[in-house]
Amino acid sequence: MIELTKTLEDGRELVAEIERRTGQNLAACYQCGTCTSTCTANMAFDYPPHVMIRMLQLGMVDQVMSSHTAQLCYDCMTCSSRCPVRIDVADVIETAKNMADERGLPEPERALRLFRKLFLRNVSRHGRLHEASLLFWYNVKSGTLFNDMSLVPLILRKKKVHIHPTRIRNRREIRRIFSVVKNYPRLKK
Amino acid sequence: MSDAAGKSYSYYPGCSLKSSSMEFDISFQAVAAALGIGLDEIHDWNCCGASPAPHHRVESLGVLLSARNLHIAGATHDAVVAPCAGCYNRLKTAQFKLAGDEELREQTGEVLGAEVRYEAEVLNIVQMLNREISPEALAEKAQGRLEGVKLAPYYGCLLTRPADILKFDNPRDPRSMEPLLGATGAETPFFAFKTECCGSYMGLPRKEIVLTASRRIIEVAVSSGFDALVTACPLCHQNLDLRQPQINKAFGTELRLPVLYFSQAIGLGLGIPPEELGIDALAVAPDLDRWKVGAA
Repeated sequence: MIELTKTLEDGRELVAEIERRTGQNLAACYQCGTCTSTCTANMAFDYPPHVMIRMLQLGMVDQVMSSHTAQLCYDCMTCSSRCPVRIDVADVIETAKNMADERGLPEPERALRLFRKLFLRNVSRHGRLHEASLLFWYNVKSGTLFNDMSLVPLILRKKKVHIHPTRIRNRREIRRIFSVVKNYPRLKK
Repeated sequence: MSDAAGKSYSYYPGCSLKSSSMEFDISFQAVAAALGIGLDEIHDWNCCGASPAPHHRVESLGVLLSARNLHIAGATHDAVVAPCAGCYNRLKTAQFKLAGDEELREQTGEVLGAEVRYEAEVLNIVQMLNREISPEALAEKAQGRLEGVKLAPYYGCLLTRPADILKFDNPRDPRSMEPLLGATGAETPFFAFKTECCGSYMGLPRKEIVLTASRRIIEVAVSSGFDALVTACPLCHQNLDLRQPQINKAFGTELRLPVLYFSQAIGLGLGIPPEELGIDALAVAPDLDRWKVGAA
């Protein structure tokens, strides 16, 4: 059971923050469901996009921030391009995800978050993404050693992989960028 | 055969074009050379941060990473071309946010140690080629080389969305690829799944999403009678081409639909030999004998 009155009070401030960060007016949503019917990721979501918006209208920010949906949405922006009242649904969901990251909320979709963290660590080290080492570290750290191994012979045969990373010269500038910005998915030291 | 003698662009290849989608790089460079366009790679460019780097309205990692590339490109060129839809999207987004936010410009300037140059025009490959060669001029060179081939223009997400930032094409029914593709002699009837998402970067962590979403795109193209998909996005290409054997294995299907890069299709039209367009790097090879390429 959701305690609606209490939820409303607690959540109001965070909903206001989401609206401020995205510049969206969530009250405009009348639950037509267009966002959900166009969503390719909905099959993997716990809450469909229109329910995410409804929950925010009700102040249920905690549930929204710690949902699988917030982590899983890959920002294809189909929903945003089709919303009849022009709510940028993808931006709202992405912002909820970023706020969840900033607050260090419990981690649904651990594998996915691990992927994001390793991707950004890879870029912060070399200045460019080195696909081979990303695949290696992801498989080791996620414990799925054979993930995408079926692609390896093909990638080798087609010469689509570099064994060693290509590193840029001015890595100091890249390190500076990563140190100035704090709110991105990071591995714990 | 130069159409625009001496014209040159700053070139942002991005990480994918230098590894898993190297045929996009090879074919784009071959087409540019055939049209007499210079491509000057951005000196010491870095990764744009792609999807994992937060880039939404108040997040700045994605902006700072792309700002550095824009800043370097802007020192020598008025326009930068980014064939990768993701790189293009991030450059445009960074530019949009920098233009509207003085505080962000200051923060970026501090990191870069100079006032940030962010005003170079950012173009995707479809935009750039549309500017450099008209369908009429291409048709003349192509001599109907791809006649009888049905190509499905596949735009995906990041090439057109969000429309208010990219200001490129209609995000629900984009049509910028069609005139040049048609000029090769190919047919480009309406493709219903042209803006449907392929599943993005879920390939490693949540593979079933990618396989399901990409399978639908391929199956709709096959059942609509298309001979190939045409894309301008390395990630779409990876999901639709490289993962096609995975799709077949997961669902017991027997799909075999080639997926070409936009530059490969235009290059074939121009009569550039397939081996100079990296056609042999595709996982699913097109039946070029039937396509009569190089016959003209």
